[in-house]
Amino acid sequence: MNRENSIESRIEAIREQIKEYGDVNIRKFELGQTAVKAAIMYCDGLTDREQIDFHVLKALMSYSFDQRPISKELIQNTLLSTSEIIEVETQEEMLSKVLTGFTALMVDGINEITLIHALAGKSRSIEEPISEALVRGPRAGFNENISDNIALLRKQGENKDLCLLKLQVGERAKKDLYIAYMKGIANPALVEEVHRRVAKIRIDNALESGYIEQLIEDNYLSPFPQIQNTERPDRVTAALMEGKVAILLDGTPFALIAPVTFSMLLQSPEDYYERWLAGTLLRIMRFFAAIMALFVPATYISFISFHPGLIPTKLVISIIATRVGVPFSSLLEALIMEIAIEILREAGLRLPKPIGPAMGIVGGLIIGEAAVQAGIVSPILVIVVALTSICSFSIPQYSAGISLRMLRFPAMFCAAAFGMYGVVLYALLLGAHISRLQSFGVPYASPAAPYRLGEWKDFLMRAPLRMMKRRPKLLYPQDSTRKR
Amino acid sequence: MSGTQQAKGGLPQEKLTTIQVAVIISNFMLGSGILSLPRVSAEKVGTPDAWISVLLGGLVAIVAGVIMALLSQAYPGQTFYEYSRKIVGSWLGHLLGPVMILYFAATAAFQVRSLFEVSGFILLEGTPQWAITSVFLWVGLYLMLGGLGAIARLFELILPLTIFIYLLVTLMGFTIFDLDNLRPLLGQGIWPVLKGVQTTSLAFTGFEVIILLTAYMKNPNKNIKAVTAGIAIPLVIYIVTVFMVIGALSVDGTLTKNWPTLDMARSFELSGLIFERFEFLLLIIWIMQIFSSFTTAFYFSALGISQLYKRKMKTCLYGLLPFVYIFVAVPRKLDDVFTLGDWIGKVALYLFGVIPIVLLIVTKWRSSKHANQT
Repeated sequence: MNRENSIESRIEAIREQIKEYGDVNIRKFELGQTAVKAAIMYCDGLTDREQIDFHVLKALMSYSFDQRPISKELIQNTLLSTSEIIEVETQEEMLSKVLTGFTALMVDGINEITLIHALAGKSRSIEEPISEALVRGPRAGFNENISDNIALLRKQGENKDLCLLKLQVGERAKKDLYIAYMKGIANPALVEEVHRRVAKIRIDNALESGYIEQLIEDNYLSPFPQIQNTERPDRVTAALMEGKVAILLDGTPFALIAPVTFSMLLQSPEDYYERWLAGTLLRIMRFFAAIMALFVPATYISFISFHPGLIPTKLVISIIATRVGVPFSSLLEALIMEIAIEILREAGLRLPKPIGPAMGIVGGLIIGEAAVQAGIVSPILVIVVALTSICSFSIPQYSAGISLRMLRFPAMFCAAAFGMYGVVLYALLLGAHISRLQSFGVPYASPAAPYRLGEWKDFLMRAPLRMMKRRPKLLYPQDSTRKR
Repeated sequence: MSGTQQAKGGLPQEKLTTIQVAVIISNFMLGSGILSLPRVSAEKVGTPDAWISVLLGGLVAIVAGVIMALLSQAYPGQTFYEYSRKIVGSWLGHLLGPVMILYFAATAAFQVRSLFEVSGFILLEGTPQWAITSVFLWVGLYLMLGGLGAIARLFELILPLTIFIYLLVTLMGFTIFDLDNLRPLLGQGIWPVLKGVQTTSLAFTGFEVIILLTAYMKNPNKNIKAVTAGIAIPLVIYIVTVFMVIGALSVDGTLTKNWPTLDMARSFELSGLIFERFEFLLLIIWIMQIFSSFTTAFYFSALGISQLYKRKMKTCLYGLLPFVYIFVAVPRKLDDVFTLGDWIGKVALYLFGVIPIVLLIVTKWRSSKHANQT
């Protein structure tokens, strides 16, 4: 046995290499009842020490090697009782694997290095998703561990059609990413397109699936989200069953679903879990709320400053009476309150949980009341602003809610400049934008435009389940029948 | 997937479904006519039977539309701009194309001008014309840059809204509706009704886009269906309008108003609702309809320039904008606007009433001759 290959010299070399990696540990030991030296190297915290102690150290140290000679095969095939092992030859390869949580085993006299997969299972337990709370429906949400998330998807039912393409993103920090779809349902062209866009991503480090979303969406200038995100496995499965494609990234509970249309952003899984009549009514109400959230302040401004003649006389008189002391124009007045409520909302989100609601009450009630008392704003406006923010709370998707919150400000300016005419033109502009926008080749306005009457069963209304026998055709699914 | 490709001019090119073509035609037709048709038709007919005249006018339009659809079917994948030269030779074709470009440009300008007249009159007194017009033009341009697919989709969003609100508002006119205003039926015989048909059929101009749209259809063979459905929707709306307005305001009352439909919506009040007056609802959808008529006319005018003179579509859209903007300001007073409308109508009558028949006959004759030779 020459000096170069001896374990001591290899460890020396490695120690030199890992000088700047303080968390990498090396433990030397001897194989059972022989004097052959061996060492394991692992990363603190990433490795499950109990497993290593039991399946590696104990197995190797207590086995008596007198019957069979020490060999790689013996160790790998007989002694290491772990499910996944990899073999590498160079130290560089070994080090990069060790840094992702593998444990490296080096034995004197054996050139190949065996890597043992024994990751510490430290992940958040499966909890109810905070951002998508439901009254009825599964309480499980994704967590930050990709294998847990994949398992959650698999557990939705025995289904051999559920495919998961594994990719890696990130140039410096490589992260696992899975593209999930149903074979036989999802259009292969769509899967191919998602795969192509994900593979094209060049980024140092994808911290959250939001990075992926922004790098693969169709139009980054649009105010509307073109990819849906969700923490709910049931939602992902439902989407996959319609022929959509999901993207799961390691390290984040948010999965992405593509393609998406505007109407999908206003849907909630509960629409399907509740009986159809309730689901339909709730959905119509949400559409109504979305329109209100966008246009109520603008309508208020245009009526007050341009067309008081269009509201009933009695109402005009009472509005004008309350506005007598207000020194500001209706635009400025509305802007003050709308911005104040946005700041309150943001502040409420950042505060610790016990204080958040209190902050909302203090802000909403007391400041509103005081502003009216001080004569800065009119009480009608407080109603308008409150109505608007309540409406925007009812949007089930947080990112869609943000879009609508943003878009109501330009609407207010249009109203202040051109009255009702400006609001209509603004609506036309938004309509034009939505008509131009596509998400992975699917028109964003569908199924409203282009008309797909077959899909209107699941658009403004949610038809009884026994009537929804076909998948949405807008995704061009391979198999369009839901039940056979 | 749906296969959106970037065409040479940079605009996305998509094939349109039959429904989309019908929707574009309907939206293009429903424009300034909604508000003025009761007066225009009552002027010509002079009796309460104007609505029958509208019905006949619509039927005439359907016939003309079918002729144009047949003509386009003979030249698959080509617009009228492209194939007209093949039929009549390049000399006449060089005349026909530009006339049509001008016709569409004038229609676009006329729509914007009537928008300015009405909204300046009711919604925005004192706001300068350049402001109202230019905002409108820019929003239209933004839509048109998305190509025909985007235009079709927006129209699909607008049309159901229009029909719903429009029928709601006009049917609320039943509160002041008096059947006596519509009697006697055919009191002076059928002659006055027939006299009005020429005018009322002009209210249906807009179906002529079928000779351009067929080239972009997924199923060009269904263009007859598309044009018929496209005319049928405005036909129903127009009949309801004329019927309700004359029934509510009487013939004499209708004649004195510039925009009698608007006046009808103003003259009833339903208390107990949030809004007691409904003309603003009518105005909202009317603005949307003007917008759709304007974008269609403008787009096809630019398309003509692009196809006849081999320019990029984007360049044509931007380049046409200032001309239309100036064109909008040409008529000095309201009467001039109405005169401009009459002129456009007369041009349309020859351009789309007479010429397609001639062209169709020439085409059929040639193809039969061709068939005999081979």
